[in-house]
Amino acid sequence: MLVQDVIDRRLISGTNEPGATVAVTVDRIYLQDGNSPTIARLFREHGFSKVFDPERIGVFFDHSVIWPNAEIAGRIREAMVFCETLGVQVFRPGEGISHVVAMEQGWFEPGSIVLGTDSHTCTGGARQALALGMGASDAVAAMITGETWLRVPETVRLEVVGRPSPAAGAKDVMLHVLAAFGQEPFLYRSVEWCGEWPESLTDDAAATVANMAVEMGAKCAFLPPHGSLAGQLRPIPAGGGEGVIHYRIDVTDLPPYLAKPHSPTNSHPLDASAGEAVNYVFVGSCTNSRLEDIAETARVLEGRQVHPTVHMLVTPGSRAVFLEAMSLGYIETLTRAGAIVTPPGCGSCLGTQGSIPASGDRVLSTMNRNFLGRMGNAGADIFLSSPLVAAHAALTGEIPHHSDLN
Amino acid sequence: MHRVIVVHGEISTDDIIPGKYKHMHADVAKLADHVFENRFPGLAGELRPGDVIWCDELFGIGSSREQAATSLKAAGVECVLAPDFGRIFYRNAWNVGLPAVRCSPPPGLRDRTSMQIHWDSGRLETGGEELTFASPAPRLMEIRQAGGLLPWLKGREWPPEGRSIQFTAEAWNVRPN
Repeated sequence: MLVQDVIDRRLISGTNEPGATVAVTVDRIYLQDGNSPTIARLFREHGFSKVFDPERIGVFFDHSVIWPNAEIAGRIREAMVFCETLGVQVFRPGEGISHVVAMEQGWFEPGSIVLGTDSHTCTGGARQALALGMGASDAVAAMITGETWLRVPETVRLEVVGRPSPAAGAKDVMLHVLAAFGQEPFLYRSVEWCGEWPESLTDDAAATVANMAVEMGAKCAFLPPHGSLAGQLRPIPAGGGEGVIHYRIDVTDLPPYLAKPHSPTNSHPLDASAGEAVNYVFVGSCTNSRLEDIAETARVLEGRQVHPTVHMLVTPGSRAVFLEAMSLGYIETLTRAGAIVTPPGCGSCLGTQGSIPASGDRVLSTMNRNFLGRMGNAGADIFLSSPLVAAHAALTGEIPHHSDLN
Repeated sequence: MHRVIVVHGEISTDDIIPGKYKHMHADVAKLADHVFENRFPGLAGELRPGDVIWCDELFGIGSSREQAATSLKAAGVECVLAPDFGRIFYRNAWNVGLPAVRCSPPPGLRDRTSMQIHWDSGRLETGGEELTFASPAPRLMEIRQAGGLLPWLKGREWPPEGRSIQFTAEAWNVRPN
């Protein structure tokens, strides 16, 4: 089990078996702007002033890139001063989403332990890092000691075989898994993806799959060797084994999927919602803001116009993605089509910067969760899909049919 | 020796401390009067220092509010047992000095019976029965004794004498297995 292999190499105390608690060393820790003010306060209140290794700690300013009001601006300024006093690495507003940039910068070393103060830290599982979202007190302790404690999770191996329909990709398979299984089989467990489908993924698609481990209820996920770093990743055997729970699904000809309000587990084949109106489309978030996602969106919008009733935002996940998309002409294509391209960061995902949807808006977004009020207005209905489906909806103002995507 | 308070069914963090009290977190003692207020009215008034709560289903599912753990501790609860916990509640509980132990109650466990926990050996005794649980890492026991994670850390030299932090593993394929 990969999770226990990682823990073995970092073990300080405790027994490394499922259900037991252990103390382990931590390779890297990162914070985001939403909770760094709380962390700064805890440092102050307890009189802490030193971290174990400033080089291994990063603070990302991604949730509020364009500061929407004086209150948030003030808190971000305070957080920046705090970072300066500790000497930790700072990723300024505009550099991108923590999970996307962390992956680009090699912070998710295979076999390492990474903590982040954000639930989607699990994205690091695409590179076989044990990457865990944690709260403020946990982060403070780990920043000072370079250590944390964990409960060793059980392992579930999810074998996926077959090839989805050409219009369906990583996001669709994930929404299908959420619809078919719910969270119960994965709760608190380590999910190891295996089989021909995950092994065929690109780097970007694998990041999408790992990112939504938290939507599955999992503690962490591991992807098998795939893409550009395949040689550095460990094989994940298909099938069960002692102490491993095994599930197998066949995604042959799987159609695109769409999640309806207000949960990602409320997912259905696309055609069940086809024809329904949408008037706000968001392509972005730590789930789908990488170059492939921007490329796919630009390909659909090339030489066409966003429907007049649709407010469309595209937010590249990082500065590197933004620059690459610019040099490949995608940003121009999107802009000419009438989409608004915003600076790299979390974008509209969680209501901490614009655009907040209007009450009554029907939003189609490529993000990972659509809980009531997620984007800052409980009066909006949020649907989730791949960038391909979202881009088509932006052109017509309607959720497309599967047959429209080919 | 502890007194066992048996509770039935899945318990959310909202059941433990209703969300409307979360802004009163400055005074945890006041929160203690409201634990389980909606789910088990009157129970807060009966809790005594040293009590343990033993739930027969998932305990602490829901929000990340740390007050769910601090308010139980303020009410005198010394330990929470359940077959399973909400992940964030579980971490919060240990981090504020309230041990959470994964262990299903024996069938027919009587409310208000007495119980003994042997932390080192991972055993507990109640009503003439002996059960086992995965004993917590020594680190967690230290945190419990200190009253929480940050109090445990306060005033401590780091890294402790005789230990330096080393990062040896860079990638799977360059590591001996």
